Amino acid sequence: MLLTVSDLHVSVENKPILRGLSLRVKSGEVHAVMGPNGSGKSTLAYAFLGHPAYTSRGKIVLNKKDISHLSTEDRAKAGLFLALQSPIAIPGVTVTNLLRAALGDNKNPSHNPILARRFVGSLPVEEFMKAVKEYAKQLHIDESFLSRGIHDGFSGGEKKKIEMLQALVLKPKFAIFDEIDTGLDVDALRIVARGIGMLSQKGTGIIIITHYQRILKYLKPDVVHILVSGKIVKTGNAELAKKIEDNGYTQFSV
Amino acid sequence: MATLNFPYKYGFHEKENYVFKSKRGLDEGVVKSISWHKQEPDWMLNFRLQALGLFRKKSLPVWGGDLTHIHFDDLYYYIKPTENKVSSWNDLPAEIKHTYDKIGIPEAEKKFLAGVSAQYESEVVYKSINQMLAKKGVIFLDMDSALRTYPDLVKQYFGTVVPSADNKFAALNSAVWSGGSFIYVPKGVRIELPLQAYFRINAASMGQFERTLIIADEGSYVHYVEGCTAPIYSTDSLHAAVVEIVVKKGARVRYTTIQNWSTNVYNLVTKRARAEEEAIMEWVDGNLGSKLTMKYPSVYLVGRKARGEVLSIAYAGPGQHQDAGGRILHVAPETSSRIISKSISRGGGRTSYRGLVQVHPGADHVKSKVVCDALLLDEASRSDTYPTMKIDQQGARVEHEATVSKIGDEQLFYLQSRGLTKSAAESMIVNGFIEPIVKELPLEYAVEMNRLIELQLEGSVG
Repeated sequence: MLLTVSDLHVSVENKPILRGLSLRVKSGEVHAVMGPNGSGKSTLAYAFLGHPAYTSRGKIVLNKKDISHLSTEDRAKAGLFLALQSPIAIPGVTVTNLLRAALGDNKNPSHNPILARRFVGSLPVEEFMKAVKEYAKQLHIDESFLSRGIHDGFSGGEKKKIEMLQALVLKPKFAIFDEIDTGLDVDALRIVARGIGMLSQKGTGIIIITHYQRILKYLKPDVVHILVSGKIVKTGNAELAKKIEDNGYTQFSV
Repeated sequence: MATLNFPYKYGFHEKENYVFKSKRGLDEGVVKSISWHKQEPDWMLNFRLQALGLFRKKSLPVWGGDLTHIHFDDLYYYIKPTENKVSSWNDLPAEIKHTYDKIGIPEAEKKFLAGVSAQYESEVVYKSINQMLAKKGVIFLDMDSALRTYPDLVKQYFGTVVPSADNKFAALNSAVWSGGSFIYVPKGVRIELPLQAYFRINAASMGQFERTLIIADEGSYVHYVEGCTAPIYSTDSLHAAVVEIVVKKGARVRYTTIQNWSTNVYNLVTKRARAEEEAIMEWVDGNLGSKLTMKYPSVYLVGRKARGEVLSIAYAGPGQHQDAGGRILHVAPETSSRIISKSISRGGGRTSYRGLVQVHPGADHVKSKVVCDALLLDEASRSDTYPTMKIDQQGARVEHEATVSKIGDEQLFYLQSRGLTKSAAESMIVNGFIEPIVKELPLEYAVEMNRLIELQLEGSVG
């Protein structure tokens, strides 16, 4: 399965940010998009999911389906997932409820609302909860976070892990992680990197958007792209990330 | 006695099924005929007539919502409830049936909620609950029956917590009341099962001017659940109920209401409790329906260490105004209180929090906390806060917090990026917002409450 981006131009408030970006990600691959501040990294993340504040031109094709004109929720349903850099708090909405709504929406096994409440997607509630708790354990997330308002008062590390948890439960076709490594201590970084590794092994194509190559120490990317001033200026293998570490981005300035 | 406009052909003597409707408007004759139909004792008739005088004298409140469109002369003040009810499921308006279906409640319950059936559960369950209550000495009757069966007990408390002179609508209710519940819980008796209007013998007593009186004797506990979360079919334009609660020493009463009147109803209700020493009174009040609601459940903390709590949820959609809140009067020392209000406005709807915390002189070591949070779903909607604090005793700890928030685009984007539609995302945010109060509801009400909020929002957003 393929996710391709061709000649993507994105502007915010009429200001061009991405200027003709192209990518090609296969299922199970791990791509890193690296770039300095202001290069358009977060814009790329938002543009994938069609955030209304971003005006896009160009094509995003997921599994042969052009999703460039779909709404945010339809892109998600098509199999895209975005872990945000600083996800917003939603008081009173637990991650469990959110996941139930996200999964339950797709294939409701029954039209009877009382029966439907006992299922999440096609899974009985109990099995769904078991799976969520198991992933939480693997990510070292205390169970109490599952019943609190999502990101409400969470630390930076907790937020990132909760984003990771959602990716694991939702099993998207392609997942974009925007600055997943910022604000994480070494232990949390390792845990999140392992989570991304698990996801890619299950066939999810991964795009890691990052400034630093910290996380790449724990997760070897198949492809590394250098994003500067809204364009990919260089594509290579994991060695490319090493070069950034040694010499910074100035060598790629346009 | 003024001329009575009832069709005699139905006959007074066939009490089981007669239909009576008073003439439009209100005068002594109407009040007398109500009392006469109910075969009430003289004191009640006098109580009604006195209240009528007060109703005429009192002016409409100048604050709150717009009451100028209530035409008191055009209203019917007493309709024998059998006429008010639809007798078959098929007679209900389609949208109400549709709503029941969407909520997913069982057929028997639907029919009860719609006023088609008088009983919520099977005869057997109904009887066993009544037997359980009777065994414990609990009296649970509709107000009219209670007045007939326990006139002295009713007389002792009736109108003592909410006097007729309290406000214009309390006076109106006192003059023309009909139906409502009467509960007496003896000393030390705890009823673990929430008592619901569902189980009342005479469901017909759900009316426009209900009168409810609850007496929780020393050390007792009762949770009363009033009304239901589904819309009650009613063409009436004015609902003016009075609820009086006496919570004696060490007793605890929780009173839960979720009103979802149709949006042509003025809902002007006076609810008040008197809490004696170490007593606890809790109001859980949800207002989703009506054109205008003005309701401020109150607790008078008259005994040392009494505690009062008001949890209020209000939702105002297009054309609706929810003016709600709570009032706590700290009369005795060491009393404590908490008011939590959550309001949601959408589509030009308006919510107002109106609250009073008063600490009387001599009431020392008082603690009170008021939190009111408003959520606006769009630019057209409105929310106001009118908190009043009157502190006449030094050293009282009174806190007040208020927030107004809008559903943020980033919150919507976040949920939509997980595959939720915009309306599903909105209702999820709203349900999260009211969650601290909803979790206090009995489970089936919590589920219905969430579902109702979803229904209100479904299709309302682009």
